[in-house]
Amino acid sequence: MSSKITTSSTAEYFSKNLQQVGFSSHVKAVLTTLKEAVDNALDACEEQRILPEIEIWIQKLGPGSLKNTDRVKIRVLDNGPGIDSDDVPKVFGEYLASSKFGRGRCSRGQQGIGISAATTWAQLTSATGARVITKTKTMRKALKCTVEVDIKNNKGVIKDRETIDWDRTSGTSVEFEIDGRLQLNGEAGLLTYLNGTALVNPHLTLHYNLPDEKRTTIVRVSDVIPEIPEAVEPHPHTMKLGEFIAHSHLYGRIKAEAWLKKGFSRVNEGTIKDLKKAGIKSQVLDKNVDALNEVEFKDLYLKIQGIPLMAPATKSVLSIGEEALAKSIKRLGEVDFFSVLSRKPTICDFKPVQVEVAIARLFDKANESDSPIQIIRFANRVPLQFDKSACAIVSAIETVNWRAYGLTQPKESVPQGPYILAVSVVSPFIKFKNASKETIDASEELVEEIRRALIQAGQKLAKHIRREDKANDLEEKIRHIEQFGPILVEGLIRITKSSQARKKAAEEGLMKLLGREARDAEAELKEADKALKPLV
Amino acid sequence: MSKTHTSGVSSRTQQDLPTLSKEICLRLLSDLERAKRPILYATKCSLDNAVYNHKVGYLTPGEKKVATELNVSSVKKMSRAIFLLEVLLRNVDTGGVNTKRELYYIAKGEVKHNSRLKPLDFEDQIESDDSIDFICEMLECYREDLNCFANDRGGQTYSQQLIVTETLPDGEKAVVELGKLGTSPFQPKNRPQKFKLSSKKPIDFCLIVESEGTANTLVANGFTKRNSCILLGAQGVPSNAVRAWCKTIQDQLQVPMYFFGDLDAYTLQNIFRTLKAGSAASLIRNQDYSAPDVKFLGVLPEDIAKYDLPDYAVKESDAQEVRALKKASDALKNDPFFQDKRNKGLAQIMNWLLKNKRRCEQQSFFSVNPKDPQMPEKIIMEKIRKQIFV
Repeated sequence: MSSKITTSSTAEYFSKNLQQVGFSSHVKAVLTTLKEAVDNALDACEEQRILPEIEIWIQKLGPGSLKNTDRVKIRVLDNGPGIDSDDVPKVFGEYLASSKFGRGRCSRGQQGIGISAATTWAQLTSATGARVITKTKTMRKALKCTVEVDIKNNKGVIKDRETIDWDRTSGTSVEFEIDGRLQLNGEAGLLTYLNGTALVNPHLTLHYNLPDEKRTTIVRVSDVIPEIPEAVEPHPHTMKLGEFIAHSHLYGRIKAEAWLKKGFSRVNEGTIKDLKKAGIKSQVLDKNVDALNEVEFKDLYLKIQGIPLMAPATKSVLSIGEEALAKSIKRLGEVDFFSVLSRKPTICDFKPVQVEVAIARLFDKANESDSPIQIIRFANRVPLQFDKSACAIVSAIETVNWRAYGLTQPKESVPQGPYILAVSVVSPFIKFKNASKETIDASEELVEEIRRALIQAGQKLAKHIRREDKANDLEEKIRHIEQFGPILVEGLIRITKSSQARKKAAEEGLMKLLGREARDAEAELKEADKALKPLV
Repeated sequence: MSKTHTSGVSSRTQQDLPTLSKEICLRLLSDLERAKRPILYATKCSLDNAVYNHKVGYLTPGEKKVATELNVSSVKKMSRAIFLLEVLLRNVDTGGVNTKRELYYIAKGEVKHNSRLKPLDFEDQIESDDSIDFICEMLECYREDLNCFANDRGGQTYSQQLIVTETLPDGEKAVVELGKLGTSPFQPKNRPQKFKLSSKKPIDFCLIVESEGTANTLVANGFTKRNSCILLGAQGVPSNAVRAWCKTIQDQLQVPMYFFGDLDAYTLQNIFRTLKAGSAASLIRNQDYSAPDVKFLGVLPEDIAKYDLPDYAVKESDAQEVRALKKASDALKNDPFFQDKRNKGLAQIMNWLLKNKRRCEQQSFFSVNPKDPQMPEKIIMEKIRKQIFV
């Protein structure tokens, strides 16, 4: 009885509070729907070690039922493993039915809310659920159906089920018709999302079909599927009391001592001894966790917080890598120069985290020198496109003195110029400010870690800018000599009424004189080139 | 006057300039022929290079020089300077005159008609002004010597006795009798040093009034009828023409010179000091642009009590007044003019101003007897008679 009440309230809760999970505006609705579908496709491919190839179609079908909206069709097709028929209603129509919930892995999806919310939004605005075609390797024919959320019971319901021939071994196609508004450019634009996704997924081949635009393909630049590190158990120092108690529910009938050792990282025999020294009675540790009362949990929790434990391992974070980032950033457009940096995984707020940064100057945006640089934020390789001012990444960018690296920067603000700055934060436990995962919480330690990454990337970038300055300097010097030298000499000859022979001699002398400076500038340029060589 | 100061820059005449320019250009040319880097030296015109000797009477340059070396960065600046020098020398040769603004357009016209000169083109007048200033530094002359005149303000002069004779470029002589001008003033322009001054009757003194309005009032009330004098309005900080005009009056007529203006730090430091001893920015030309004999007639601090003049406190909220006080305190520490013991009286007034933070305007003399329009004149004449000045 109680479980029924809980599940039905979950779906009902989210259906009434879709704004909390990314559906707070018409623009966001389109982006969130697309994002959830792509996240699922990528996670599924990586899980099964398949190089992902995804195709996206976005179409305007006419005016939407809500004011100022269009009826938008979004379809995402992947070459992933496909979904077993039995799982299809759970994946698309049931909240919190994820295989990923609280696992401590760097997957894009974490809770199993997103795609069901998209189905709900489609159902609410266009009265149809998610249209799914899926096929696993073992299926002879593909399953084609519509999934709807049974909001009262938090269950996925399959409608219009049929089996069809499909010309692929495995894969999934999901299609939503929703009310929304299309925004292509700008920070919240679809193109920003698509480019960002390509950037941090060098192994992805992406095709997209946007309204009034030709089919675009971004080809993969790496055949290496990122190794998804094994999940790690949570570290007891990162949990709140409620989470600590809830964590025990995952383990059922198991002794408290075994639960502590098995359910948490960095808890071992030594920790148990320390707990006993701290006053935890052996009989409490011998009790089954489901038999512990609240007082015992609280005591256990408080005591373990006081015991010094090793910081959590960093092996659970996933890295894109400098090489792959360097290749990937060139897919964003014609790039003048770039700098990429992967920090070693580290611990921030007792959670393993890895920060990676890519900065590129775009050739075709060379004129936009007085607008802020484009910032693309990523959390677990998913672009974050809203509410940037409160984000840890933006806070860190603003604290760096970019002027030192040759960029213009208004005081305590983001730098300016035709640059793209991509910052990726990967962690099995990213702390977001909200359920729609738009903003990374700006803790002091995390901001400092991002800041360090930015500084290192800035230093690398400065070498390019310095080289460019030297090249400009040389060009300017040569231009100056060629332009002004003859005019100066001619003026002198006229005022002094001197001969043409003297003119020639003076011109030669001037060229020798100024040519020396040009040669010095040339030598400096070579020096700058040398410094840059290891980076290119 | 020490030899150092009479020789060198300030004794340079307009006739020397074409020769000097040619010399400098020849030196540049021969350095270039030998692939040697030419360096041009100019006098450093700033207070830290200013010297004051009361026997000389005005601020003169010290030993500091500014060197400009020809290199890739300065080749544009030098090319522009040589280009404009040619234009200016042409003016000196033909007797043509121009303002800086006109020269800017002349330069643009030259570039328009000769595409080879395109790289020299001035985008704004400030660029051509800089080039003219650089030429003056290079030749150590002032722009008036190169017939580049400013539209000088101030210096409106009244006298019943003064006669000004000016030789015009075509050799004709213009004679102006100021006594025949009625209440209209004579205003010196361009190069007043070239005027020849004489008088119908002996002139007793020359009075320079800070406010042109007050100068006009004094004349309208009959000051120049009752007194054999020259009366002129400075109109604030004296322009080059006013400074050169005062110097010409002093040298040619050898009459006592008095300045009547406000009692405040700005007047004393910016207006009176510039009139008497020149400025740091014009070190190389103060000889022709200062009248060292001029005395400060008032308003003096003691006048406030003596005539019960309305004065008021320096407004702490007025940035300009506060800045003037700060400058005055700096001047007492760094300005060789105020540090010279012969100018102790002026330094004492500055100290009084800094200490009391009060100021009193020249027009306050009109408050002494509001019903008597001649009262300010009476006070001024009493001061002259009793030699109450600094």
